[in-house]
Amino acid sequence: MAMSASILRNAIHTEPRVLLAGGLAVLVHLIFVALMIFSLNWKDHPPEGMTVDIWSEIPKPVQEPVKSQPLPKQTPKPEPQPEPQPPKPEPEPPKPEAVKPAPQPPKAVVSPPVKKPDIALKQKPEPVKETQAEVEEQKKKEQEKIKEQEKLKKEQEKQKELEKKKELEKQKEIEKRKEQEKQKEQERQKELEKQQELKKQKEKELAAQQRQRELEAKAQREAEAKRAAQQAAARAQITNEISKYKALILAKIRSRIVMPPDLPGNPVAEFNVTLLPGGDILDVRLSKSSGHAVFDSAVERAIFLSKPLPLPPDPALFNEFRNLNITVHYRE
Amino acid sequence: MNTTVTQDMSFLHLISSASLPVQLVMLILVSISFFSWWFIFRKLFVIRHEIKKTDEFEDIFWRGADLNALYQRATSSRYVSGSMERIFAAGFGEFNKHPQGTDTEAVMESTRRAMRATYQREMDYLESHLSFLATVGSVSPYVGLLGTVWGIMNSFRSLSSMTQATIAHVAPGIAEALIATAMGLFAAIPAVVAYNRYASSTDQLATRFESFMEELSNVLQRRAV
Repeated sequence: MAMSASILRNAIHTEPRVLLAGGLAVLVHLIFVALMIFSLNWKDHPPEGMTVDIWSEIPKPVQEPVKSQPLPKQTPKPEPQPEPQPPKPEPEPPKPEAVKPAPQPPKAVVSPPVKKPDIALKQKPEPVKETQAEVEEQKKKEQEKIKEQEKLKKEQEKQKELEKKKELEKQKEIEKRKEQEKQKEQERQKELEKQQELKKQKEKELAAQQRQRELEAKAQREAEAKRAAQQAAARAQITNEISKYKALILAKIRSRIVMPPDLPGNPVAEFNVTLLPGGDILDVRLSKSSGHAVFDSAVERAIFLSKPLPLPPDPALFNEFRNLNITVHYRE
Repeated sequence: MNTTVTQDMSFLHLISSASLPVQLVMLILVSISFFSWWFIFRKLFVIRHEIKKTDEFEDIFWRGADLNALYQRATSSRYVSGSMERIFAAGFGEFNKHPQGTDTEAVMESTRRAMRATYQREMDYLESHLSFLATVGSVSPYVGLLGTVWGIMNSFRSLSSMTQATIAHVAPGIAEALIATAMGLFAAIPAVVAYNRYASSTDQLATRFESFMEELSNVLQRRAV
């Protein structure tokens, strides 16, 4: 029995998969840390872009440290390359210009003197040959002269013909130009006509629009007039209603007055009556006495007796009746 | 702190640039969180195992198996027994120790005592570390909050030396301080959830053990008479 008890106590402490639990706990934390790192990095990208944009507006010396390393490397390279290139071409052109002009003028100067001596040499031998065959040469010269004359004549004729042709061509060209000008003028006239037509059309459209506007304006005016008339009618109805009910109230009060007999003249009593909705009387004040206390009190009694006073069914009109001024004449 | 403001706001940078008390709080919270998750998984496995074993044993017991054979199996060293089997073994072993003819009430009393003792031990085993989870759930938010408050205090104190106070001077300090709160909540939320869940499952197991003890004592009393 002691054996079994010890076995039982030992069995209690065998807990399943303790290490696996530890591994899972580590895994959970790794996942959490990874999530935090990546999510925070993602959120940070847009602000970084913003800072780059803001810095780029500030002068260049600040720009280089802030920008990431690849960018400054790229930008300086292109800048130096263009700079050295322009200087190279600049020095080169002056050199050829300076050298070439110098040799060229000498060449030009040298070549004419060289040619002139040749001509001089050719001319010099001719007079030497004259002694042996002057006659033949003269004949030849004459023949040549004749030929030349003929040639000249022919050339002159040709020239004349050419001139005639040229004149004809010029005339033709002039005619063509005239025709072209005429065509242009015609085109211009056509265009003018078209423009005028367009203008007319536009004017017509404008006129039509104006007419439409006028019509619309008229319609609006009419509608406004109608509305005004309706409003006036409504107002008139309201005023009619108000005056009608005031007359009714007065008539009711008059019917309740017990007239004191034999008062001299036509005394008038004015009362200020405050009404409640529904026609009840809240307050009655004598605003202007008739001069006869008997008549005043009779009217006051009559006003209290005649409640509820007749009121229009429309509750909106009650404001007109809230404070009533009632004037009662002794004789009608 | 760092002189260049809002240069690096990554998670690791924020942690590494935090002040020492905040870093200490973060370290404490990370270790608390690790242990709480470790216990969460340990208790998950233990309670799952226990429920499975209890189901099996109840199934065998109420099918009318021989009690002596069950006792042999429960006490054998090779067999991995469950809590209910151990309670049964304690009770049945105590019952068999008494020779035939002794007073039935005295035998039953000692048997019940033995079963209750084992039951207490088993419940202690099942409920171990649950109090730790409860403590983590209630305390770690405050610890995180302490770190956050300390970090914000520091960031505002550094702000006092500035002539122009902008949000950019305070923001990194507050962000790194708030990480402490995030850690505290990360430790607390699963701990609270796990504590509530495991507490209810251990309660269920406890009621099952108690009712089994009552039923077993009835069975043994019938044998004794």
